Amino acid sequence: MTDFLRRLLATPQGLIGSLVVVLVLFAALTGAWLAPHDPDAMAALARYKAPGGDYLLGTDQYGRDILSRILSGARSTVTMALLATLLGTLLGAVVGTGSAYLGGRWDEAIMRTVDAVMAIPSLLMALLVVSLLGASGANALLAVAIAFMPGMARITRAVALTVRKQDYVSAAVARGEGSLYIVLREMLPNVIAPIVVEMTIRVSFAVMLFATLSFLGLGAQPPAADWGLMVSEARQYLHRSPWILIWPSVVIAITAIGFNLLGDGLRDALNPRT
Amino acid sequence: MPQDQKPVLSVRDYSLGYKVGSDTLSVLKTINLTINRGEILGLVGESGSGKSSMASAIMRYLAPNAIENAGAIHLGATDLRAQTPRQLADLRGSRVSMVFQDPATALNPTLKLGEQLAEVLMRHQGLTSAQAWKAGEERLAHVGLKSPAEMMHRLPHEVSGGEKQRVVIATAFACNPELIIFDEPTTALDVITSRQILDLFAGLQAETGVASLYISHDLALVARTARRVAVLQKGEIVEEGDTVTLFRAPQHPYTRALIGAVPRPDRRLVKADPAPEAAPLVKVRGVSVNYGRKSLLDSLLRRDFTPVVGNRAVTLDIKPGEILGIVGESGSGKSTLAKAMTGLNRFDGLIEFDGKPVRGLSDMGRDYRRDVQIVFQHPDASLNPRQRISEILARPIRLYGGRDGLPRRRQIEEMLERVRLPATYIDRFPHQLSGGEKQRIAIARAFLSNPRLVICDEITSALDVSVQASVIELLMELHQQTGAAYIFITHDINLIRQIAHRIAVMYRGDLIEVVATEAIAAPDRAPYTRELLAAVTPPASLTLTA
Repeated sequence: MTDFLRRLLATPQGLIGSLVVVLVLFAALTGAWLAPHDPDAMAALARYKAPGGDYLLGTDQYGRDILSRILSGARSTVTMALLATLLGTLLGAVVGTGSAYLGGRWDEAIMRTVDAVMAIPSLLMALLVVSLLGASGANALLAVAIAFMPGMARITRAVALTVRKQDYVSAAVARGEGSLYIVLREMLPNVIAPIVVEMTIRVSFAVMLFATLSFLGLGAQPPAADWGLMVSEARQYLHRSPWILIWPSVVIAITAIGFNLLGDGLRDALNPRT
Repeated sequence: MPQDQKPVLSVRDYSLGYKVGSDTLSVLKTINLTINRGEILGLVGESGSGKSSMASAIMRYLAPNAIENAGAIHLGATDLRAQTPRQLADLRGSRVSMVFQDPATALNPTLKLGEQLAEVLMRHQGLTSAQAWKAGEERLAHVGLKSPAEMMHRLPHEVSGGEKQRVVIATAFACNPELIIFDEPTTALDVITSRQILDLFAGLQAETGVASLYISHDLALVARTARRVAVLQKGEIVEEGDTVTLFRAPQHPYTRALIGAVPRPDRRLVKADPAPEAAPLVKVRGVSVNYGRKSLLDSLLRRDFTPVVGNRAVTLDIKPGEILGIVGESGSGKSTLAKAMTGLNRFDGLIEFDGKPVRGLSDMGRDYRRDVQIVFQHPDASLNPRQRISEILARPIRLYGGRDGLPRRRQIEEMLERVRLPATYIDRFPHQLSGGEKQRIAIARAFLSNPRLVICDEITSALDVSVQASVIELLMELHQQTGAAYIFITHDINLIRQIAHRIAVMYRGDLIEVVATEAIAAPDRAPYTRELLAAVTPPASLTLTA
């Protein structure tokens, strides 16, 4: 484990990615306490303040402190993104591994269905699910998870196909093991490494997808301090104070880049030979 | 010429290590080697002895974490270690060339054979592309390929493994190099093909007088090929000398152990035949295996579909407690039959196990699964790398039920002792074990269910010769203890003659014949059996080479 960490931190993308992700997770955990102001407290006299003085990143159209809102918003935004990715990955991984194990016509049927679902862009898919189930945070989470599932299933299947041909799977089949045991205990642990890498990269997509959903008014609802929602609200006040728009956008970008870099670093660290 | 007096290759006090983390892993220790013009030096050693690192060091193709000492490597008068990368690129292929183990990966699959051969000639001899193509055809004719002009236009996947290796050899000899390094050139080939390749190599060597370094783990092969042999153990040359003297009177204990571990057909390891009148345990009746399935499109368009044949109507019997050897080249359907019998392949026909008919997967109940166990070739692949030994060995007990009244963990520890592994291995992962130890785990897994038939599919071919000997010894011991019947699939005919009661010979999916082991060398055998036997290097040559 320490060896793995050292390899991860040896590459620049691994090091920077880990730093950013740790920072973001730290903010998500402690942001609410760290916030210098109440994120929802309005101040009529302190609207559209530029960064500086009492308000480190300035204030928004209601005089709320942007720094406090970003810090306390980290929890919902990042947790939602992580949860949605985890759920989507898990579902996709089981479907992909199962499909590879069953093979033949089953594989064909499952994969063509997945292809059909994949043909719908993930944002459109998420929009569809949310508009069917109603706009709320939980539904947005489900929507993103479902949107991620087909892609993960495809990637997992590709890896699982090579694992399927390994002798330890043949040995399990010859032993008369059940399909569920073979998929979950023999195959899944051996496809986990590429899945973890893919998952980390997808977290950044999830952050952006959530931001987009909130921006369109289908995710978090005002006055929640969600990053995407903040960008959405700030749009109208762009000419009064660009900072309201810039800060949450920057944070979304940094988080996305951080997870992306971490994913690249993990990929190198998990395959020491490449 | 003055070069003729000087050795073609001389390695002086050369050591090599690899930097792993903060440690240095020593691979070669103070190596001294010389090869003169027209000489073949055999370099023998088990895996991990540093054979291939030696080849890389001479080719100056080392990993970036390699650390070398001040030792010298000279090719003729050229100091190889002092060459710039550019000069080395000129040297490789023109003055030193190399033949790799697996021709399938040594050739680029997307380039025509002719292009790959002509490239060497254009690069090093400055020929135009038309000239090089013409010269390439001559070279291919020279290595005994029929219709070389056609061969030049083929892609690697369109020719056989033996033909590929001939092309690789033609490429190596193309620029008349001073030194050729052969890194296990026949290991990936069939017995008969590798015999032909060796004959070709001997002919070319005599004709061109090139100096060769022949790296191999196969002692019998090296004894046939090289006039001088160096034995490498853990990076050190422990013994070097004339082939005949070295094999007749080995001085170093390691050399003696290596030679002693080579299977000899005259040294039988198995007790007398099982009761001849006993009813067969397994009757295989007309079992055929076809690969591929008719696609929906094929049936819609009413296209004909020709499946790939794995086995064609194989019929044979196995008696209780018998060891049946199955031999044949790769692609002969040996493993296909094993997979059909363990329910890994669909098959047509009938397998009767202990009087119960099995016609397909659905007939293979828990009892059949318990009674018929399989051990695979590569222990790396057959043990799940993410599971501990305890979980791997617990599965058969869980599935088939172990002995009552004994905790599962205790049963596993007992089994580990039976396969001569310390009980402390129970919490390890497979990658913490050596190849031979892993194979013992796989054997333990098979025997935990108290099987009546164990199918061993090339289980020793990935192992070193000394490890192979100990694994075979273990198998024979378990055979005596349990009385299980074995199907032992192998391409090593010397080995199978040591341990089998009867031998089945397979060729391209057909069962040629099943004969008693004593009668395998009889003159009235099928022509293919005779051909196969003739191609085998008898281990007797270890002591008898003149």
